[in-house]
Amino acid sequence: MLDSLTAALRELLPHDAVITDPVRLRTYECDGLTYHRATPGVVVLPESAEQIAGVVRLCNETGVPFVARGSGTGLSGGALPREDGVLIVTSKMRRILEIDLPNRRAVVEPGVTNLAITEAVRDQGFYYAPDPSSQQVCSIGGNVAENSGGAHCLKHGFTVNHVEACEVVTPDGDIVVLDRMDPGYDLLGAFVGSEGTLGVATKVTVRLTRVPEAVTTVLAAYGTIEQGGEAVSAIIAAGIVPAAIEMMDALSIEAAEAAVRCAYPSGAGAVLIVELDGPRAEVARQFARLLEICSGAFELRVADDPAERAAIWKGRKSAFAAVGRISPAYIVQDGVVPRTSLPQVLAAIDGLSREHGIRVANVFHAGDGNLHPLVLFDDAEPGAGERAEAVSGAILDLCIRHGGSITGEHGVGVDKAKHMPRMFSADDLDTMQLVRCAFDPRGLSNPGKVFPTPRLCGEVPGVRRGVHPLVESGKAEQF
Amino acid sequence: MASRDVLAATGVALRGPGPGDLVGGVTPGVVALPESVEEIAAVLRACAGAGLAVVPAGGGTKLHWGAPPERCDVLLDLCCLNRVLEHAAGDLVVRVQAGVTVDALAATLGGKGQELALDVPFDSGATVGGTLAVGAAGPRSFRYGAARDLLIGVTVVLADGTVAKSGGKVVKNVAGYDLGKLFTGSYGTLGVIAEAAFRLHPLPARRRWLTAELAAGEVTGGLVAALAASQAEPSAVEVDRPAGGRVALAALVEGEAAEERALAVRDLLPGTADGEVGDTAPAWWGLLPGERVLVEARFPPASTAAVLAAAEEAGFALRGSPVSGRTWLTARDSGERELREAVTRLRGRVEGEGGRVTVPASPYEGVDRWGRVGALPLMRRVKERFDPGRVMSPGRFVGGI
Amino acid sequence: MTGGPGTGPDPKLIGDCVHCGFCLPTCPTYVLWGEEMDSPRGRIHLMGQHVEGTPITPEMAGHFDACLGCMACVTACPSGVRYDRLIEQTRVAVEREHERDPQERAVRGLVFSLFPYPSRLRLLRPGTGLARQMAGFLGRAHPSLGAMAALAPRVPRRQRLPRLVRARGERRAVVGMLTGCVQREFFPQVNAATARVLALEGCDVVIPRQGCCGALSVHSGREDQARRLARRTVRTFERAGVDTVVVNAAGCGSSMKEYADLLGKRPVFRVVDLSEFLAELGPAAERHPLPMTVAYHDACHLAHAQGVRAQPRALLGAIPGLELREVPESAICCGSAGTYNIFQPEAARDLGDRKAAAVAATGAELLVSANPGCTMQISAAMRRAGREIRVAHVAEVLDASLRGVSLGRDA
Ligand SMILES: Cc1cc2nc3c(=O)[nH]c(=O)nc-3n(C[C@H](O)[C@H](O)[C@H](O)COP(=O)(O)OP(=O)(O)OC[C@H]3O[C@@H](n4cnc5c(N)ncnc54)[C@H](O)[C@@H]3O)c2cc1C
Ligand code: SF4
Ligand code: SF4
Repeated sequence: MLDSLTAALRELLPHDAVITDPVRLRTYECDGLTYHRATPGVVVLPESAEQIAGVVRLCNETGVPFVARGSGTGLSGGALPREDGVLIVTSKMRRILEIDLPNRRAVVEPGVTNLAITEAVRDQGFYYAPDPSSQQVCSIGGNVAENSGGAHCLKHGFTVNHVEACEVVTPDGDIVVLDRMDPGYDLLGAFVGSEGTLGVATKVTVRLTRVPEAVTTVLAAYGTIEQGGEAVSAIIAAGIVPAAIEMMDALSIEAAEAAVRCAYPSGAGAVLIVELDGPRAEVARQFARLLEICSGAFELRVADDPAERAAIWKGRKSAFAAVGRISPAYIVQDGVVPRTSLPQVLAAIDGLSREHGIRVANVFHAGDGNLHPLVLFDDAEPGAGERAEAVSGAILDLCIRHGGSITGEHGVGVDKAKHMPRMFSADDLDTMQLVRCAFDPRGLSNPGKVFPTPRLCGEVPGVRRGVHPLVESGKAEQF
Repeated sequence: MASRDVLAATGVALRGPGPGDLVGGVTPGVVALPESVEEIAAVLRACAGAGLAVVPAGGGTKLHWGAPPERCDVLLDLCCLNRVLEHAAGDLVVRVQAGVTVDALAATLGGKGQELALDVPFDSGATVGGTLAVGAAGPRSFRYGAARDLLIGVTVVLADGTVAKSGGKVVKNVAGYDLGKLFTGSYGTLGVIAEAAFRLHPLPARRRWLTAELAAGEVTGGLVAALAASQAEPSAVEVDRPAGGRVALAALVEGEAAEERALAVRDLLPGTADGEVGDTAPAWWGLLPGERVLVEARFPPASTAAVLAAAEEAGFALRGSPVSGRTWLTARDSGERELREAVTRLRGRVEGEGGRVTVPASPYEGVDRWGRVGALPLMRRVKERFDPGRVMSPGRFVGGI
Repeated sequence: MTGGPGTGPDPKLIGDCVHCGFCLPTCPTYVLWGEEMDSPRGRIHLMGQHVEGTPITPEMAGHFDACLGCMACVTACPSGVRYDRLIEQTRVAVEREHERDPQERAVRGLVFSLFPYPSRLRLLRPGTGLARQMAGFLGRAHPSLGAMAALAPRVPRRQRLPRLVRARGERRAVVGMLTGCVQREFFPQVNAATARVLALEGCDVVIPRQGCCGALSVHSGREDQARRLARRTVRTFERAGVDTVVVNAAGCGSSMKEYADLLGKRPVFRVVDLSEFLAELGPAAERHPLPMTVAYHDACHLAHAQGVRAQPRALLGAIPGLELREVPESAICCGSAGTYNIFQPEAARDLGDRKAAAVAATGAELLVSANPGCTMQISAAMRRAGREIRVAHVAEVLDASLRGVSLGRDA
């Protein structure tokens, strides 16, 4: 199947846009989650929506599955290839097509990096608000697929709140535009966050945000993580909505120190990074109240200019990757709890860590209860990996038990599909899959992701595939 | 078998249709009054079995919106599902049943110094479920997003009685598809929204409105862009323009420093406009400009001037948000042909600007309510999957869905 | 080299890569082609495949060869992956295990017999009869050789430097100075300026007779040649009796700083870049105004390999009247990278064009960098684009300011 498809792909695409060399193919075997690997059957590097549509149509003709991939930084194995399928990589589609400042929007190809958009408009006083820590490398297509968030999403919202329209190649190879402006179902809302299972985004219109007049960043050091957690609750209770509230515990501070010498206050059990942004007068008033709330901190640092701010953020931004410096291996977990449950959940994680003899470093978006426990282990030690897995899984249980979610931003992918039934009932999942069946009845678009058991869509009773032209033109109704 | 007999077995309270129960002029066979999610499911199952068409209803404030249903055997009145299920003030989250009125919710939240930042542009009876179903946006959607952006979880009941939820009660969550967004603005054609969870905002310390009068020609793309990008961060900017008159402009600024920020917004207005800053909203703020005839235009904000001109030409009064590129329009009801022509003219101009014109409320069926709909075939396929028997509000939505 | 000869890339260093991709956007070949195998993450993955037993295929070797060794990925990596070591170890394995096609072999052989030997390199200088005769022939023989000939700059009169240049005013330090092969042959005025600046800032400058430091060989996996040349250079400066060697060519500096790894023994002197040294020493001489707009180009071997970014900017910025402009995408290599424009002429050209456009966007009058290769590369690209720009080394700009003269025409 794949062989005849490959031949057809070579006809369709430029010579070096089709990769079949086994050594090269293997470099695409995983995304940011290296635990799951599969060598793709064939990799294509298209340069236009038409080429992608052509590839997808060929996949349809041959019944071959396809998986989209942007920069391959996903942390849930969403871009894990299929050995029997095509991997469609958007990394050659990275043109910024239009910048329309009067309407505060930009139109970009899917392979454009998140940060590239901001860089293109920064001089004019605008930026693209969602800021995943991977923003210098992750693609907008990937962001759309994962509905990515970032530190500043507490105030400014997630990808879905900043995408105005998307050109999409549907799983049967049509090019359609999903636009917030269009009447009808909010298919754009359903597409964002669907992890590549509803088609491939080929053009994205994002909203640009004006840079705030003032930004103030505060670093508060606490003796214990509980004290830090209480400060978070107090900030929210005071009616302040900071742009970001981030927290790191002692272990992650240690890692960041080892990696980038961030020089956070020594002896801190937790540091809180709170960033206020907005009109100057508003920020000044909120800042005064913030200082009162954080008066329990044993050290406070305040940054008003970009250099000082960068110094405070440096440790936080490097934290994930930095953990590699204090542990041979680790699992990045991503779960959400209601913000008021943070202290209890953190205490429970600490308990799990002791019980299993596995260290857990906590770095997280405290403002919206999004935990990123980093479960550390030594892969050379027999059984350590299993214990780490157990802790990691138990943390998700905690999140579910507290009314939270098994993923706040990294997505379900292949990694957490098995956990979906713990959060959702069979009916919930079946209902979600109705959307999938509408878009992709043959299940060719990124199969095996998000849902633990794929639904066999079958034909809708009494309805032909495709829509009758009379219905389409409004001359007849479908019953 | 009459609808009433089919439903009797479910044990759900029923009543006969009253004058307020007409859906786009269609009188329902019977009105069912479920008191729980299970009862909604029971009604829908029974209806599905008998092929009865169901239209869900909240406060009944927008039942004249959208096309009239082809059939309406059962009106599902959700007024009895009116509990606030959970207000987690510390988490800035609320979970409610769909029949809770927006006003009742505001009262509950206000008690704790919080609000759902959805200014629903309707009469006091509007319910949360109904508001979601039509997906209408108010002035502050400019800053806080529309209903779909504030919604963090839903429980829905499908035509076959399946109860399903998506999202949850945390503000950040990407597990699974977002059914909430799909159901928001779906006019009851995919199923029934039974419960919803929202993210909340703290009530602002102060509110100030900047109001000014401008000549239509002064509302330029440049002015709109400047207001939208203002670092004084207004929560909303609205205009009100009776057919052919001058433009009243109002901007809402919220926060402790609302006053000085409102003054900063004023500096953006053309020199001729002497804007005033005060603590009351103009009388028209956040209200729909019309009842019987209601048109909605959505457009790129920089095209505001063109839309104002097009509205004037076609004889519409206009009210709404230039910065969001979303306005309501209305005209005196002077007959079907006139309305049809006016809408066609307006639509031509607005679509030419890259915008869209819909007609949520029209007393006439001869008016094309939806205009250009991208991705209609995909929408049909979604409808077919969720409601293969076409029993949920059939015919009320785009393309006769 | 940690692995020692014959072992290939070190699996432990490979294991440090967590596959986060943070290095991708700074990698020049990824920027050009957008393909995983030509990104640092992909190359590390290929190294992993090799370590696990996959032989070096021509495809694999091609991706390693395409690496510029610019080390932008090392700077970008939050996990501290030593890609610099990995690629050096890998290049050794490639040279050892991979059979190149005969033509390629011939070109490589020619280049490595020319570059590390100043006296032979001299023959290639434009204006010499040999070069004129060779240019056309070289271009026909192989595009790489054409590239080599086209790049060579016009060379001012050769200046012979004395063995010792005495400090002006109070002596604050005694330093050795590396003259570098390419620098000496193609840019003798840079070495002259370097010696003057050091002297004006109060240094005795010791300039022993010297050969190639071995940088080009290290960067191309010619390990034995590299070691031989390095040993000789160490001996030269140890004999000269200095404890600090100042280097004005970024490529040479970065390799010399790694001598301990290459030779398994730390030399008795320390190696510093000129700007690093001057910033540390602090200004003594008066700076005269140089009213001009300057774009500073980060040479990879300075910015990424040595982490020297702030110092040259600070030195230039401190010159009265001089306005410093940042070049967009400054972290991305210009494509020169040692012998790269010879072995990978197309990629080098594309990167050069990209850099030229970025430099042009600053609107600056003068382009300053600390590496002769970069200067050659970018000025050639700008010439192609019809936007000729004056170029100078940091040392030349400082020299002009310290002496209160305007920058020379050829600068
Ligand atoms: C160190 C590190 C930090 C991170 N920090 C954050 C963070 O703060 N917040 C956050 O939300 N995430 C974070 N991530 C996760 C990741 O960067 C995001 O999920 C990102 O959006 C993935 O983008 P990508 O281009 O790498 O996508 P990929 O990994 O290539 O793909 C991700 C998914 O998107 C699909 N996809 C890709 N392109 C398209 C397309 N054009 N159309 C349809 N589907 C497509 C793929 O099939 C896959 O399911 C982090 C990752 C790393 C390694
Ligand atoms: S050294 Fe330069 S070219 Fe080589 S992989 Fe790293 S960034 Fe890319
Ligand atoms: S940045 Fe470092 S850890 Fe991340 S992929 Fe590149 S080399 Fe590997």
